[in-house]
Parts: sequence; C-alpha cells; structure tokens
Amino acid sequence: MNGRLEIGVDIGGTFTDVVARVPGKQIRFFKLPTTRSDPSQAVVAALKHMKSEWSLQPSDLTKFAHGTTIATNAVLERKGAALGIITTKGFRDILEIGRQSRRQMYDVVLEPQPPVFLAPRRLRQEVSERVSPSGEVLTKLDEAGLRDAIDKLVRDGAKSVAIVFLFSFANPSHEQQAKELIAAWYPDLSVSISSEVDPHFREYERTVATAFDAYVKPTVANYLKRLEDSLQEEAVDVPLQVMQSRGGLTASEVARMRPIRLFLSGPAGGVVGGRIAGASADVDNIITIDIGGTSADIALISKRKPLIRPEGVIGDYAVRVAMVDVNTIGSGGGSIARVEGGSLRVGPQSAGSEPGPACYGRGGSQATVCDASIVLGYLDPDYFAGGSFKLNPALAHSIVRTNIAEPLGISVEKAALGIHRVLNAQMAEGIRAVSVRQGIDQREFSLMPLGGAGGLHATALASELNMTKVVIPRIPGVLAAAGLLAAPIEHEVSAAFSSPLAQLSIEALKQSLQSLDDSASRLMHAERVNSNDVTVSYFADLCFIGQSYALEVSFDPNTPNLADRLYEDFLAAHDRIYGHAVRVPAKVVALRTVHQAAGSDTIPEMRLPLSDQPIEIGKRPIWFNGFDQTVETRVLNRAALPSGFSFSGPAILQQSDTTTLVEPGWDGVIDSASNVILSRG
Amino acid sequence: MQRKNHGLDPITVEVVRNKLDGIANEMQQTLLRSSFSPIVKEGLDASASLFTVDGETLAQACAIPVHLGTLIPVVAKIIEIYPVVQMKAGDAFIMNEPYLGGTHLPDIAVVAPIVTKDGRVVALSAAMSHHQDMGGMSPGSVPTNAVEIFQEGLRIPPLQFRKDGQYNETLVALIRQNVRIPDTVMGDLNAQLAACNVGARRVGELVDSLGHNLVGSIFANLLQRSEELTRSALRSIPEGTYSYIDYNDNDGIELDKRIKFEVAVTIKDGNFHVDFTGSSPQVRGPFNAVPSGALAAACFAIRAVTDPNIPTNAGCFRPISLELPRGSIVNPIEPAAVNARTATIKRMAGCILGALRPAVPERVPADSSGEMLAVMFGGLRPSGAPFVVGELIAGGSGAGINSDGVDVIETDVSNCMNLPAEAMEMEAPIRVHQIALWSGSGGPGKQRGGLGIVKEYEVLDGEIRFTHRGERHMCAAAGSNGGGPGAMAVSQIFRTNGQIEDIPSKAMAVLQKGDRVVITTAGGGGNGDPKLRDRRLADADLKDEKVLRSDVRA
Repeated sequence: MNGRLEIGVDIGGTFTDVVARVPGKQIRFFKLPTTRSDPSQAVVAALKHMKSEWSLQPSDLTKFAHGTTIATNAVLERKGAALGIITTKGFRDILEIGRQSRRQMYDVVLEPQPPVFLAPRRLRQEVSERVSPSGEVLTKLDEAGLRDAIDKLVRDGAKSVAIVFLFSFANPSHEQQAKELIAAWYPDLSVSISSEVDPHFREYERTVATAFDAYVKPTVANYLKRLEDSLQEEAVDVPLQVMQSRGGLTASEVARMRPIRLFLSGPAGGVVGGRIAGASADVDNIITIDIGGTSADIALISKRKPLIRPEGVIGDYAVRVAMVDVNTIGSGGGSIARVEGGSLRVGPQSAGSEPGPACYGRGGSQATVCDASIVLGYLDPDYFAGGSFKLNPALAHSIVRTNIAEPLGISVEKAALGIHRVLNAQMAEGIRAVSVRQGIDQREFSLMPLGGAGGLHATALASELNMTKVVIPRIPGVLAAAGLLAAPIEHEVSAAFSSPLAQLSIEALKQSLQSLDDSASRLMHAERVNSNDVTVSYFADLCFIGQSYALEVSFDPNTPNLADRLYEDFLAAHDRIYGHAVRVPAKVVALRTVHQAAGSDTIPEMRLPLSDQPIEIGKRPIWFNGFDQTVETRVLNRAALPSGFSFSGPAILQQSDTTTLVEPGWDGVIDSASNVILSRG
Repeated sequence: MQRKNHGLDPITVEVVRNKLDGIANEMQQTLLRSSFSPIVKEGLDASASLFTVDGETLAQACAIPVHLGTLIPVVAKIIEIYPVVQMKAGDAFIMNEPYLGGTHLPDIAVVAPIVTKDGRVVALSAAMSHHQDMGGMSPGSVPTNAVEIFQEGLRIPPLQFRKDGQYNETLVALIRQNVRIPDTVMGDLNAQLAACNVGARRVGELVDSLGHNLVGSIFANLLQRSEELTRSALRSIPEGTYSYIDYNDNDGIELDKRIKFEVAVTIKDGNFHVDFTGSSPQVRGPFNAVPSGALAAACFAIRAVTDPNIPTNAGCFRPISLELPRGSIVNPIEPAAVNARTATIKRMAGCILGALRPAVPERVPADSSGEMLAVMFGGLRPSGAPFVVGELIAGGSGAGINSDGVDVIETDVSNCMNLPAEAMEMEAPIRVHQIALWSGSGGPGKQRGGLGIVKEYEVLDGEIRFTHRGERHMCAAAGSNGGGPGAMAVSQIFRTNGQIEDIPSKAMAVLQKGDRVVITTAGGGGNGDPKLRDRRLADADLKDEKVLRSDVRA
C-alpha cells in the first residue's frame, strides 16, 4: 500500500468506529469496544489493526480525523474540572439565578434549574470593573482585587477559571487584561473568557457558555494531548483533526482552546455522513434519524448543508453555542412500554443495555420496543448485531403478553404493533419539532435512518410524515466515522455588531468583518491549509427592533444596497420560519464569518464490493400495521443486492449492522452508489 | 384491571394523544418565536392550547398555567356568542374582557375554529399573549393606581377578528388607535393567529386521516380517562375539609390594609371543592381577580397534588367546583380594577396548596414567596425618544420535606423569565449595580427555604417614572413542620440628597438622575426544625454565604 490513506475514528459511548479510505480505491471499516477509562486507547488499537489486518503503515496517512464524546461525557458524568468563576462586582450569582423560570410547569417541589453544579457560590468571586453598553470603560479593572479573587479560588481548589464581565462583548479589554494577568500569576491554570467563548449579549447565557467551556477544558486538553502524543509515538505525521459541533474539522491544538465547540462532535460526524450518503444518491434535502437503544437523534440537511442552530442543549441545560441542529428524544429500541390507566405508554424510561430488553435474557422484566420487534417478526433472533448475540423470542412474547396485551385485553401481536405505533408517533413529533424550528416542510425531504434500529421504523415514519422517499445508506452503522473523512476544515468567528439597518455603515461593517476574517485566517493557518483553498462566507444576525431573538441571514458584503438586501432576506427568513413578516424597522445584532477548506461532497468508495451470497435469505411471516394476519415476507441480503436491483414491499433487508423493514406500499431499488432508495407512490 | 374503551382502539387513542401534545407545543413554539414584544420574547408570557367544540381543554403546551386556566372561560364565552356550528374556516375571534371571562386587559385571547374539508368544526385552537400595551392611563396598561377598569385600557368584548381569512379592518383600526405601540401589538396578534393556524392545519390533517366521528370519540375518551385518573388520585388523599389563610400586602391605594385570603378545600368522593368564603371584600386598587383567576389557581393546584403523569386536559379539571363570594377580592363587581391580579391568583394558588399540605405533605412544600415583583421604568431618553422597560422578578421557593427550596425561581401559576441586566441597560438610561442572592433570606429549617434576590438600579438620566408592585413586604412565606418563615421583602429608594424612602410594597415614584433603587424579593419558608439540619448542609450554607453567621448565632 502506498500513497494516501485517510482514517476517521468516531469514539462513541459503547463502540469505536474506524473507517479507512484509500481515495479512488477502497474503504474499510471495523468496530471495537470503547475503553471508557481512556478512550484514546481505541485510536492506538485502530492503528494496530490497520497494520496487522490491512498491512497499512502510519507513514501512508494523509489525514487522521476524530469524533469524540469526551466533552459531553465530562458534563453528563460531572467529571469536569473544579471551576471558579470571576465576574463583575455585584454579579457573581448570575449563574445561579439564571432566568428564574422552571422547565416543568406543574412542579411544586423544585430543583435548581441552571447548571449550579459547575461552580457553587463559594467558588464564584467578584472584582471591581465596569464597561458601559457602548463599550466605554466606566471603572478600571481592579488588579489587586483580581489577584485576591484568583488567589482565593486557587486556594479553594479551582483548576479552571471562567471570567465573565458585563458588556465584554462591547469591549473585551478587561477580560483580556484579566486573562493575561492570571496567565502570569498562574501559568498552569486553565482560563476561559466570555468575550472569546460567546461574545454576545445576555449575561446569563454568556456565563453558562463560558463556564461550560472552562469546565471541560482541562479534561479535553489532557485527552487530546495524550492522543496527539500517542499518534506521534506511532509515527503518524499528520495533524490530528477533531470534529466540531457545527460539522467542521479543526486541528487538535485549536480544538483544545475552545472545547465548548466539541459537545456535538460525534453526532456532527453522523450528519456529515448523512450529507455525503445523500449526495451519492443525488438527494439534497434529508432528515436523518439515528435510533439507538435509549434515544433517537434527528437532524436536517437542507440543500446539502447540515442545518445549524445557534443554541444547543447539553444534558438538561441550554448552552448558547452553535451546533448542528440535532434533536434528541428519549425514544429508542430499549424504550419501555407499560399500561397506565388503560393507556399504553412508551418511554421515556429505557431498559438500556443492562438488563436490556426482556429478549436479551439478562433479567429484563419490562416490555420494550425491541421485544415488540421480535414478536412482530421484524428482527431475526439469530441474526441480531450480525449474529453476534442471540435473542430469546419466548421471553419477548411472554413479557409483551403479560405487561401489555392482557391488561389492554388485546392480542400479543396487536400489543406489539401498538408499541411500534406509539413510538413512531413520538418520533414523528420529534421530527416535526426540528422541522418547525427550521421552518422547513418535511414532505420535501427524504428520510435517512441511521443506527442499529433506524431501519425498522423508516417507512412507518415516512408514511406518517407524508414523506415519499427513504434513503438507506450502504454503511449506516459507521456513517459518522465516514463523515469525518468528508467534512471540511472549518473556523467560525463572530462578534456583536449593533446597528439599525436604516443607519448601517458599510464601512464599519467591513471593518468588523476584516477583523473577524483576520482571526479566522490565523486559525486556518494553523491547519496547514493553502489559503487559496479557503472559501469564506458571511452571516448577519438580524431582528426587528423590539424583538430580542435574531435570525441568521447570509450575505455578500459587496452587494450594492446591502442594507436593503439584508432587510429583504431577513423578511423572507422570518416568513419562512415564523409564518409572517411585517415591514417594520430591523437591526443587525451580530456578524459572523465562516472559513471552510478541503471538504468533499461524496465518498465514492462507500460503494462496497458485492457479496456473492444469494440475494434472498428466506421468507418469514411478519405482522404489519393495518393487517389482521401475518404476511409472508421476503428477507433480502443487503450485501448481495446489485445496483439496479428492484423489489416491492413487504420485504426485510438484512445486513450485519442493521435491519430495514420495507412495509407494503413501498418499492425499493439499489442505486449506482449502493444506496437503497425506497419510494411510495 | 381491564377497562372499557367504548370500542376504541387504545393504541389509536394513545397515538392521537401524543400528536395533540406535539401540536400544542408546535403552536407554542410558533407563538413565542414569532412574537414581537420583549415581554413575550424574554418573559415567555404567552400560551397556546387546543379545545374541544364544547370548550373543554384538549391539550396544552408547556406554558403559563395562569393563561391556560383563564383560556377556559374565554373560550366558553366566545362559543356562547358565536356558536361553533356557524364558524367557518378562516374565522378567528378575539377578546380580552375580564368581566366576560378574561383575566386582565393586556391578555388578549385569539380563538379559531378547526374546520374539516366538508365544513365541520371539530375543535378550536386558542392562543393568549400578554401585550406590551393596551392603552389606558399608563404605559404598559398595568397602572398600580387604577381604581376602575376604564382606566386600564381598551376593553374588547368577544368579536370576530378574521372572517374568511380577512381581518376585521374596523376592529384593527380601533385597536391601533387605542394603543401606544400599534405595530408591536399587531405583530403579536399576528403571532397568535399564526399559532392558531398551525393548530388548525395539524388537527385538520388528523381528522382527514381518521374521520371526524372517530376523532370526536377519541377526544371524549381522552378527557374521560384523565378525569378518572384524577378522581382516583384525589380519592387517595384523605377526605376532609382543609383550610388556610394567607395575606397580600395591600391594594396599592390603602397601603396599611392587608388583603386576606381564606380558603377551605374539600376533598370528597373524588371531588375538589374550593371555597374562598372569608376572603377580603374587593379592593379599590387593581388587585381584584375575576373568577377566571380562581379557576386558574385551582387548575394548577389539582395538577400539582395529583399524579403529574396524567395527561393534562379538561378531564383533570372536571372534579373542580368553586365558591367565590360575589364582591370579594376573588370575584369583584364591575367596574373594579383588575390589572394587577397576578399577585392575587398566585396567592390563591399558594393558599389552596397550603391547605392541602397536611394531606399530601410529600407533594406540597412550605410556602413560597409566591410573588412576582413587577418593576417598570418609563421616561424619555436624552435623545427625546420615549422608553418603557419593565421586568418581573421572582423570590425563593418553599422547602420540601426532602429538599431545600430553590433560590429565585418562578412558582405556581406564573413562569416568566427575568430581564438580563444587559438588556435593561441597552433599553433605558439605567445602570444595574447588583443582581445577587439575598444572603440569609431563606426560611430556616431542616430543609432551608429558597433565597430571594437583591437588585440595585441607578438612574443615569432623569426623570423616570417608576412603578413597584411587590408582595411579601408585610406578610412572610410561612414555614412548615416547625420550619421558619422566609425573610420579608424590603425595597428602598436612595435619593442623591441622602434621603432614604421605604417602598410600602406598592409605589409609583419619580426618580431623578443619580437616584438609586434597591429592591429585594422574599425568601421561601423552611421545613422542619432548623436544629435537625444536616451539619454538612449547614456548613455549606455558611461557606456559600446563603446563611449568614450572624443569623446562626441569633
């Protein structure tokens, strides 16, 4: 093997997926269990596997891209750094007061709603300083007070510090000054300042973003540093690239500086994977749904671009950092079904993997969606996860009977169909929620199921949502890792820029963009990217004067009558997302530049060699929604289906990483890129 | 136990229920995100709901309970005047009149029929938003010193707002002429219509796929099921009549006269009867609450003390009956002023919960501050442009039998967000010097009450008209089971000449450049004997300065 070799490694909670690609030749992949104590071991293991099984050498590597859940896990497991916060005098409690509203409206015995766990009150200190809304310094930074505050935090155990001063988005000088002073006093202390993490108005939201950044920074830095070191030991001579939440890669040393951008590192790879699989099928608009054991992740790709949301959710907390718009709902293959007050309820509780669904035979005593799938004949108990794990159909039947069918007075099969129908209704609402948020009509999109359980629900969900096309990629199980190979390197820099459109100064706007571009270019430079390969796009956040949430509009700064263009595009966006727009004055609140390089639209090698086994594995009786009896259904071997092969539902497509249920009424064809295209008249 | 479903497939019923919840939330998203005014966008003071053709709640978005409860009599009045059978696609109705079922004038309801292709009305969608201004004697339309409703703004009886998709231009012109910020008001009304349209489209699709007969039976079944579950949860509460008394500070006019709330809640046979006999007569100031307020308080309380897993719809509310003495603070006679009724409804909800605390101790914590301090600043900028900026500020919640109260959090029937200091300073010539937890304000107890807030404002350019509408300045949030009360709120104006003025809970004042205002909100009550508090928790309180060392010695 010589020449170029690209590797994508996606480390999830349970499995690490590795995809290796020799451009123009082939793609290979494998899965191995994630080492929870040190996920970076999986990377070394991947390199070993590459050498021993595939005879590939580290010196062949031209790209090494990585998706990681390290930042998210640090939050979910509360394993971030001991954090201190320094604020403007009078404002140390902003984190704890939050926005004062509660999430559950009928709750009376309450829990704190903001992420107070990040830094209890004793680890929040104040210093005297003040900047006005227009950025004018009113009170100079009290350096001696800062020294006292930081000394006290360090004495009390803080290993990382977040600095949030009022109006630092209008004038960051005090935060910069504080950062430099602390770096001189405590060179090893990790520091995040709000004007760099989230330079936008609303002090609570900015505090939360900055505090989360500081909280995970030491953990992420250690992890990535260790990974960089082990790659060096293995003689890998390409920079380690890390996936960011917006769906773009960055060099590891840049990622370490701004870890808050890594919360959706893993799912973002999946969304990019969905984009390239869609592109290979010549589909521009896609809704991906990745259904796992406990939850389902829903994302949108519009005109071949993953849709971004300006604020994401980490655990229970809203965090103002841009990320691919992935809507996670608590419905999955392990969701528990139960009867309550004569109603069938499904989820949000899940049986997880221990004890797991009853059919796992590990003592699970609740009926789950997976058990229902066994009852209905959707899953082959002997071929679950490629046959690596045998399921017990008798346990599935008996639990669905006793827990669901008998209390409702219906047959076991009706009960199992019911579990699927209720779950599908929930997931369909989840898909609608993302669609509404982004102002798109889901009927114009194709559905792409991912993950182990996605294929079982795809046609039912599509029918429910009046979608007419489903695309099943060739390798749905490792698409996130493949996405890492196609993602662009990306740097996004933004700043507050406040101006009514009527008084927009093009000069001031261009000046602000120039400074944003300078920052982005510096970051790009660290990536060893030729500046000619960089594409730059600009965005403005606008709102009506009086409104306080903004919409993003893309623009070209050289457009004649720019203010008019921005206004018209803003009205159109408002109408698309909110259903109406009135011609009243609007203003710009922020500007953003996005620099991208070296992404690709497709990975042609994803078309795997054809298996020479028989196309049809057999037939089995299946229960479908709307039928009173089983339907004898063909089971097809996905790996053996050639391009151009067509079939009609009902059918089951079996492959090692997933099973696809094709309901009656759907027709399928294998396209030239080995995708299965299902469509409905 | 096997249940009767009147031949309905229980699965289809559950599928429809999931959809209805999704639809209500989609309406809510549309309502919030497309509204104009800061009070809706920052404060989330707007709510969407679906109703049956009989005017019963079918599904609610997760929104503001006080709105969701008051929409019930509004919808009832609208369908009384405009019979459902005569409604057509593209129609919409509007109303804000408190004495016909509304709540206060800024809260406008928009109600639209959901019509099938063959012209049959199958349900109603409704949205209520708090409008930034409805005219009347003061900007924002919540004048603390109003003594009759005519001063409070434009009163809209049930009227047709849209017919065949066309606005009632006469009505629109009348509204625009009567409010201070017509573009904002119309923008928010549009958002309400947009939310109703979402409900109409999606429920319409549901009916198209299942047929109106089936859908009608399913709606009835869902309500009946929630009713059965609620009644069965009520039956698990020991039967009896439980009473409670609490107070609000004053009506803003007669400052030394407390307002009494006396409630007797009778739980019997799966019914929930609420009797406010013994409460204060109606007051001169605007704190009177029309009966929709007591209904909203009772709806909230019944959901809070029964099982939260019961799907929320009108079935949950059927066990409720109300006794509201006419001419009292909870059922005033027209034209009493009503704009500041939130404080009254919150106290009613607190009293109903307080009454039931001995019956369901694990579900009801000690008294919360139960206040939503409203402050408003209005004046002219140096440029001459007018501004009005206001915010709603919460206090501490009461301690539960197993957990401390929460600091500065919205409780019971309201659920509004606060205003960021940075938003306020950009809107008005005001500097915010402090937003902090009020150390030592939580009621002591084995479980400590939540803390109130301290907030300090400085006027940068005078003069500013300042309104302060507080509670718990004169009557603390009580502790439970031996826990102590939360601290009472204190607010003061510090004049540049050194003079300090105490604010007697309600005040309107003129502020000059350099004047400072320091407000606090009250703490929540504690639960259990403070001496039994876990040592580690007590130490943490001292380290975090949530409790002051001086208080511990005392």
